[in-house]
Amino acid sequence: MLRKLTPYLFVAPLMISIALFTYIPILASLNLSVREWNFLSPDMPFVGLRNYEQLLSSRELWNSLWVTTLFAVLSVPLRLALALLIASYLVRESVHSRLLRGALFLPSVTSTVSIAVVFSWVFSTDYGMVNAILGTLGLGKVQWLQDPYLALWVLIFVNTWKQMGYDIVIYIAGLQAIPRELYDAASVDGGRRFHVFRRITMPLVMPTTYFLLVISVIEAFQVFTIVNVMTRGGPAGATDMLVNLLYEIGFVLFDIGRGSALAVMLFVLLVALAILKSRIIGRKVHYEA
Amino acid sequence: MKPENPFLAGLALIAGLLFLSPVLYSVWISFQTADAYYAGELGFTLDNYGRAVGQYNFARYLLNSLIVSGLVTLFGITFATMAAFAFARYSFRGGNLLFGATVATLMIPSHISLIPNYLSLAKVGLLDTYAGLILPAISNGFAAFFLRQYIRGIPKALDEAAYMDGAKPLQVLWRIIVPLSRPAIASMALYIFMTEWNSYIWPLVAVGDQDLYTLQIGLARLYRINPGEGLVDWPLVMAASTITILPVLCGFLLVERHLVRGITMGAVK
Repeated sequence: MLRKLTPYLFVAPLMISIALFTYIPILASLNLSVREWNFLSPDMPFVGLRNYEQLLSSRELWNSLWVTTLFAVLSVPLRLALALLIASYLVRESVHSRLLRGALFLPSVTSTVSIAVVFSWVFSTDYGMVNAILGTLGLGKVQWLQDPYLALWVLIFVNTWKQMGYDIVIYIAGLQAIPRELYDAASVDGGRRFHVFRRITMPLVMPTTYFLLVISVIEAFQVFTIVNVMTRGGPAGATDMLVNLLYEIGFVLFDIGRGSALAVMLFVLLVALAILKSRIIGRKVHYEA
Repeated sequence: MKPENPFLAGLALIAGLLFLSPVLYSVWISFQTADAYYAGELGFTLDNYGRAVGQYNFARYLLNSLIVSGLVTLFGITFATMAAFAFARYSFRGGNLLFGATVATLMIPSHISLIPNYLSLAKVGLLDTYAGLILPAISNGFAAFFLRQYIRGIPKALDEAAYMDGAKPLQVLWRIIVPLSRPAIASMALYIFMTEWNSYIWPLVAVGDQDLYTLQIGLARLYRINPGEGLVDWPLVMAASTITILPVLCGFLLVERHLVRGITMGAVK
């Protein structure tokens, strides 16, 4: 009897904490999303789909969806392209490539808040590093974080700077898995460098690219820390990404119903992305070792 | 390794320093007096660190971060290893379903549980406590999945020999599986620790009491609530930022290889 119980005892602590803090909350969110509650009032009446309707007819949601999509569409390809180029240079083992890898990887394990604070200074109007450099070149001050067009680009830059090192490390591992003979054969055939990159490297690191593409898109849709520290979603909603909107509705306005409805919508979107990813990877990638 | 071209090595060093220059420069600023900084002069001081630790409570925040990240790592890695052992070595009714539920958490974005966790912890009075910071962060599906794959690679004959000698399952786990999975466990523990150390949104909503702020919350508040009138006191903020970066940076330099091996093992099989 006890023998049969053993595996259940081993998995119990993990399963209980997953149930309590991941699965039950999903159901709770669904329930809260069809109610009206401000955290203080004694009852929470059922309001049907009103929270969803309100959200879908609000300018904030569509703005937020647009800004987040823009952020993902602009930042992810940039990150991956840069990372692949740098990785294919750094893939050869040597002291200087190890040194550079370390430097590039460092930001991805550093505190996001610190990085957001440091770059708030870098891009600050009066005392910032970038404007100081522009100043010595004889150019005027730019209001990086106060300009609705530039602020999003600043966030894209900071996100790329922080995360690229991770992509590079993953790409290097992917590149090292490509058999050397293929390159040797290509060089016997007199293939030029760009040609070899295009015809051998790119297709063979496709599985790695898909992996990174999907996790970075999912991650981009959940960006919060740099937004909260650097711009608070501003100026004028120009960087008001989805999780930031969720935080504002749920924990600043304490509109629990509408916040939960937004959480559910974002959840459906991200799970759909994750499922789409496993479909695509299942179908299109033949090169998996 | 090929013999080094000193020119290339020098170039790489400069490129690396340029890349990191914003952070390096922020450390430099943290040693400047505020007056000198705004006047564009030089003036070395340790005063900013004194103020961050004394007046602005950063010693306490550092302690809080260590306690919270330490306990999350301890419980997280223990729970994940135990579950991984069961998933790797036992076939039991419902086992596949439970394993599936564990792996599925990798796809579930964490923000969905933000509001419900806040409400349920408020109900049991655990907001503004260490437990409230720690509990929702303990379950780590990725670590459990990763360790299960690793443990499956350990020959089963080793377990069986131990069982023949009369060992109990817990002893097999502790005496055989854990020592043989040390690199994987170390990587995952490190991964959990760093994730928790840098975690922001949950501590932001779960804690209002200043004495329970983690470093991340303390730093964000310090920057947002400008201590200088209208102007941000950048030297002070940069001292606080350096305090926040430093512990993980030291850890990173010590264990870089483990960490890189860990994350690449997860991504490229």
